Amino acid sequence: MAAPPTVIPIRIDHAACTECRMCYVVCREINLNAVVVAPDPLHRFEIDMERCLYPGCTACLMYCPAPGSIIESAGGRSLVPPPPEAWSEERRCKRSAP
Amino acid sequence: MDAVLDAALRGELTEEQCFRLVGRLWTLKRVMYYVYGSWAQGLNVNEFPPSVAYLFGKQIYDDSTHEMQYVDEILRRRWTVTQREAFRHPNCVFTPASRLAYFIFALRALTNYRQSIRVAALNLGAKVIELAWLERLGRSFPDAQLRAVFAGQVAETRSHVLMGRLIVERHVATTVDAGLCRHDHQVVRQNYLFALDEIATFTLGIPEQAGAAAVPSYVD
Repeated sequence: MAAPPTVIPIRIDHAACTECRMCYVVCREINLNAVVVAPDPLHRFEIDMERCLYPGCTACLMYCPAPGSIIESAGGRSLVPPPPEAWSEERRCKRSAP
Repeated sequence: MDAVLDAALRGELTEEQCFRLVGRLWTLKRVMYYVYGSWAQGLNVNEFPPSVAYLFGKQIYDDSTHEMQYVDEILRRRWTVTQREAFRHPNCVFTPASRLAYFIFALRALTNYRQSIRVAALNLGAKVIELAWLERLGRSFPDAQLRAVFAGQVAETRSHVLMGRLIVERHVATTVDAGLCRHDHQVVRQNYLFALDEIATFTLGIPEQAGAAAVPSYVD
């Protein structure tokens, strides 16, 4: 079995994020819980890189409706809409057999 | 809640008790959807100026954010591994035969009232008390992360109190409505204190004595 891909740090660009919560909802739905609400008065969404599996998981990118609101931490490349490699099965974490 | 904070300041609040506190507060916040869902139906009849609908929409969004913060904390600390598991955990599960449920069901029963009256009851009754304990916990709760969660909710809760006052001042005009506001505000306030007492005793692990939970005097 192939080794899981190396995690690449990503973050939310608050200048573009509409706070629609889609990333939060989908991340909860698949039990990764990597999108969290910051415990400050602004209550902005952040990505917890201790839980995020990108590029092993790209669920939030597929659901985010606001271009440029999720970016790579290093370099700031936009991941919304998802870049071509995000659709590649090779980079995904595989579901274990039931 | 003062007893919970005092215990925390004495360093006597265990990890399990912190989980109970956050779990119960999460339950309280998330069942507000049950109330808001029925109240919001009343707003569709266009009875009020749009600003009231907007302010109420913001309040629902804020309370939803607060609920998410509590469950974030539960998951971050690995008290439960998944949100599904959290829903079923005894510290977080919603029990219909509880004081918390009594508070929520009574609030939901205000559905048939005007929005201005029910907002007076919730925002100037329960929310005022919530603001007081949030400020206290946000100032001095020993655990830094939980303190940040509590402190972060203060600004929005204060805005709910202020928007409640604004709506009441603008839209409660008749003597009958003013009387209803005063009555319902008193009922919600008592119910909320009743529920808070349950949260605190559950957190601290104090067993409830038979007969300790008296039915409030206004219940027929």
